[in-house]
Amino acid sequence: MHAAQKLWVRTCKKTLRSRSEAAMSHALDKAGRWIGWAFFADLANGLALTFGYMFSKPVTMQYPDKEKWLPYSRYRGHHFLKRDAEGEIKCVACELCARICPCDCIEVVPYEDEKGNRRPAKFEIDTARCLFCGLCEDACPADAIALGQQYEFSSFSSRDLVIGRDDLLAKPGKAMTGGVVAARLKTERDVLVEASEPRGYNWWRNIRRK
Amino acid sequence: MELVVALGLIVFKVALLIAILLLLPLPLTWLERKIAGHMQQRMGPMRVGWHGLLQPVADGIKLLTKEDHIPAEADRFLFKLAPILALAPPFVVFAAIPFGETVSVLGNEITLYISNLNVALLFVFAVIGLEVYGVIFGGWAANSKYAVLGSLRTCAQMISYEIPMGFAVIGVVMLAQSMSLLDIVRAQSDVWNVVYQPIGFFVFFVAGLAEAQRIPFDLAEAEGDLGAGFHTEYSGIRFALFMVSEYVVMVLVSVLTVILFFGGWNGVLIPLPPLLWFLLKVAFFIYLFIWFRFTFPRYRYDQLMAIGWKVLLPLSLANIIISGVVFS
Ligand code: SF4
Ligand code: SF4
Repeated sequence: MHAAQKLWVRTCKKTLRSRSEAAMSHALDKAGRWIGWAFFADLANGLALTFGYMFSKPVTMQYPDKEKWLPYSRYRGHHFLKRDAEGEIKCVACELCARICPCDCIEVVPYEDEKGNRRPAKFEIDTARCLFCGLCEDACPADAIALGQQYEFSSFSSRDLVIGRDDLLAKPGKAMTGGVVAARLKTERDVLVEASEPRGYNWWRNIRRK
Repeated sequence: MELVVALGLIVFKVALLIAILLLLPLPLTWLERKIAGHMQQRMGPMRVGWHGLLQPVADGIKLLTKEDHIPAEADRFLFKLAPILALAPPFVVFAAIPFGETVSVLGNEITLYISNLNVALLFVFAVIGLEVYGVIFGGWAANSKYAVLGSLRTCAQMISYEIPMGFAVIGVVMLAQSMSLLDIVRAQSDVWNVVYQPIGFFVFFVAGLAEAQRIPFDLAEAEGDLGAGFHTEYSGIRFALFMVSEYVVMVLVSVLTVILFFGGWNGVLIPLPPLLWFLLKVAFFIYLFIWFRFTFPRYRYDQLMAIGWKVLLPLSLANIIISGVVFS
């Protein structure tokens, strides 16, 4: 036989074999589909999936009964006013924050204190209207206002949500670390954090991804 | 004297059964919510009692103290009658259900059933069929379009699924040569019926799912398209009655499946008390119901009807013929 003939025969055999194999596997596929259909393979798959999930760890954060999420430092919570090294309020009552605020919820009334500095006589934020955009923090030339870590300040009256200067000075500052920590519900005040260390676990790691 | 004792025993058994059946929805709702929660990686109720164990009690108190609202245009008599009509049949059916053979307590022989009817199976199917009245009266009397649509759907569904359900058990009756549930269980002491009647079991169980209005056949109360189906307009205690009846039917279908196809209180391998075996099997089927509910989506209405008439009915008829040929 010529080499060309041999090659021809070989290719023919090859194509034939691969064709019959394809037909075979196609038929098997089809049969498998029918068998699967007859024995509810898809339903069984679904049941197996939910059964597996039933024994996986729940992702529920048990707030406020057992756990609480502590914000990270980038979190924008309740505002607070800062003091300088001498314990004086840093704010110079320039009203830039009041200007930039998109919700028009800051009201600043300046006065001159005994040292001749311009300070706020009245500094009120209506947190009911605030959208926590953080623009006031960005605008402040004296680094006097910032958005801190507190997020539990719901109230029955919107009037209670207007926060004055002295309250703002007393509010907690930026968070250092965050995460979910052990906590306990205390009805008359906030949710009490029970963990000694303000670093919790990352809640997102609980989510099962498949 | 004999008569008084016998009568007292029957009254006691009836009262006990009613109490158990009325209280059963409490643990079942808790279980259902817990299983649902964990299947969705949640925890379910956690706050009332240990792991939310008292949650059903709180729900019950809430339902009892809620306003009992009757729509202005409703037919007041039928509206009030419907929940009772829906609740009574599943309770009545349990009168014919045996939970085990005779046991001796303090030297007295006590039977674990209220009555051993020789046509128990027929009785069960006849009475369970009456539940349709509660559904259709409830939907009709409320005078609301969602309720009427829901009750129409439910009736069509229940009636068309009762036929394959009835046919599916004929094979079992052939094997036991009796319609008494007690005899049917006794006939399975060696081999359970599910071995001889796999098709019968399949048809019965699927039809049972439809009969109990559980997902994937809960067309009656398809929240997405019908509000809540026939009990859309019900509130408070009357709504609770419908819920109780739904749970009792679920238990009933599980119990019937166990008695007819899974050997009742006949155990295998592990020698447990017969009653315990029985309860374990029933619990397994109840779990299966809940498991299905949180796995499968709901069928479309035409699919539901097609499954009933084009799949289950021919299957159950074929099952009769096959068992007739094989076991005669
Ligand atoms: S966070 Fe935004 S909305 Fe809130 S007070 Fe500051 S500037 Fe106004
Ligand atoms: S908080 Fe800052 S921006 Fe606002 S008035 Fe005071 S100094 Fe000016």
